[in-house]
Amino acid sequence: MTQNRPAVGLLYNPATPDLIAHAPELVEYIAVMPDRLWFDFGPRAAGRRFHRTLGAMETVRHCANGRMLAGHGLGMSLPSAIPLDEVFLQAVADMSADLGGFQWYSEHLSVFLAPRGSVPNAQAGLGLPLAYDEETFEIIRGKLERLKVALGCPLLLENGSFFTPVPDMDMTEPEFLNRLHAEGFCDTLLDLHNLYVGWRNGGPEPSAYMEELDPNAVVEIHLGGGDDFAGFYMDSHSNLTPPEVWGYAFDYVRRFKRLRAITFEFQETYYERIGVDALVGELNRMHDLAACCHFESNALHAG
Amino acid sequence: MLADFQQALADLTASPELCIRVRQDPSILHDIYQLTEREQGRLTGIVKHPGMQCACTIYRANRLAPLVMNVPKTCRALGTDLRGVLSEFWAAYPESNVHFFIETERFCRFLKAKLAEGRTFAPGLARVFARENAIITAALEESFTEGCPTAAQ
Repeated sequence: MTQNRPAVGLLYNPATPDLIAHAPELVEYIAVMPDRLWFDFGPRAAGRRFHRTLGAMETVRHCANGRMLAGHGLGMSLPSAIPLDEVFLQAVADMSADLGGFQWYSEHLSVFLAPRGSVPNAQAGLGLPLAYDEETFEIIRGKLERLKVALGCPLLLENGSFFTPVPDMDMTEPEFLNRLHAEGFCDTLLDLHNLYVGWRNGGPEPSAYMEELDPNAVVEIHLGGGDDFAGFYMDSHSNLTPPEVWGYAFDYVRRFKRLRAITFEFQETYYERIGVDALVGELNRMHDLAACCHFESNALHAG
Repeated sequence: MLADFQQALADLTASPELCIRVRQDPSILHDIYQLTEREQGRLTGIVKHPGMQCACTIYRANRLAPLVMNVPKTCRALGTDLRGVLSEFWAAYPESNVHFFIETERFCRFLKAKLAEGRTFAPGLARVFARENAIITAALEESFTEGCPTAAQ
C-alpha cells in the first residue's frame, strides 16, 4: 500500500462480491468479521467449537486479493467483566493467518456478553453501554495487551451507538479512547454514524465529541445509514450515509492525520433496496473524502 | 460489583417488566444483584431514561431476527399466537444463542413440543412448520460440515 491517503472500503457481507464486481477499482479495502465466517457452537460444544463456512472464506479470499484486509469483531466483548475468551481469540488469530494477516483488528467499545449470557445482536445492533471508569479501563487494558500478543497487529476500538447514557462516569467516551491511545493500548475506529445515532436519540453533539477526541488516535472511520423506528433513530445499516454525517466527515477528516481507511457499512438484506448505483455513488463520494487527507505517518500501535 | 452491574443491565434490557418494577422501587435491585451505591444509581438513571424503551424493543427485535429469517412462514402462520409463543420461548431460554441455526432449531423443538402437548394453532401451521423445521435441521447439520455456501449470521 503506497498511497498517501486513506483507503476506501467496505465491511464485508454476502452482497459485497456483487458490489465489487460493479466497481472493482473503487474498493481498496475490506474489513471482515470473523464472527460471520464461522458457526460458533459455543464453549460447551461437543467436539470442535468453530466451524467455518468454507464457501464464504473462499469468496473473502478472492475479494481481498490485491486489497487491504483488516478484521472487525463483535464476539470478544472486551469491556465485559468476564475473562477473555481465549478459544475465540485463537480462532480469530487462525483466521487472520489463513487470510494472509489482518493489517489491524478492531472490536467494539460495547458490552455484548453479560456474565451469564450473550446479548442478542442482530441487524439493529445492540451493544450495552459501559461505565467509563478506572475499573472498566483496567479490564479493557489487560485484554488489549493479550490481543496484541495473540494477533500481532495494531488494535482499534470503535465507539458504540447507545440509547441510554450511563450516569455518573469518571471519564467521557472520548477521554476514555484518548487515554487508551495515549498509553499505547489501541487506536480509535470512529464510527461517525454512531455519533449521529447517539445525537438523534438525545446524546451529545457529534461536533462536541470530535472536539474532545484526540484526532491522532483515529485510524479508521465508519460511515453508514439507519432509519427511524418508534420515535428513535436506529443504527440499522439500511441506508446511505445521511447528509449530516457527510458534513462531519468533510469537516473533520483533515484532522485525522493517521487515518488509514474510510469504510462503509450496510446490511446485505438492504442491498437491493439501497441499489447498486447508489452504493457506487457512495463509494465515489468516499474517494472524494479520502482525497481531502494525507497520511502523516503509517505508525500504528503494533504492540 | 461490575459483573452484577453488567448482568443487571442485560436483564433490564431483556425485560420491560423488570424495568417497570425498578422504576417503581429501585431497592429491588439490591435483592437480586450485588451492587455498589454508585452502580445502583447508574442503573436507576438508565431505566428512567426514555431510551430504555427503545433498547428493550431492539432486544426483542434481535431475538426475533433469526426466527424471522429462518422460519418466516411458521412465524406468519402463528399469526396472533406468535407474541405469546415467543414470550414463552424466551422465558424458557433467556439466553440467546449467537448461532442462528441453533437458536432457530431450539425454537422449532419448543414449538414441536407445544404441538405434541395438543396446543391448537391456526390451521396450516403444522404443514409449513414441518417443512421449515426440516430445512433448519438440515441447515444446522450442514453448518457442522463447513460446507455452508454462505456467511453465518
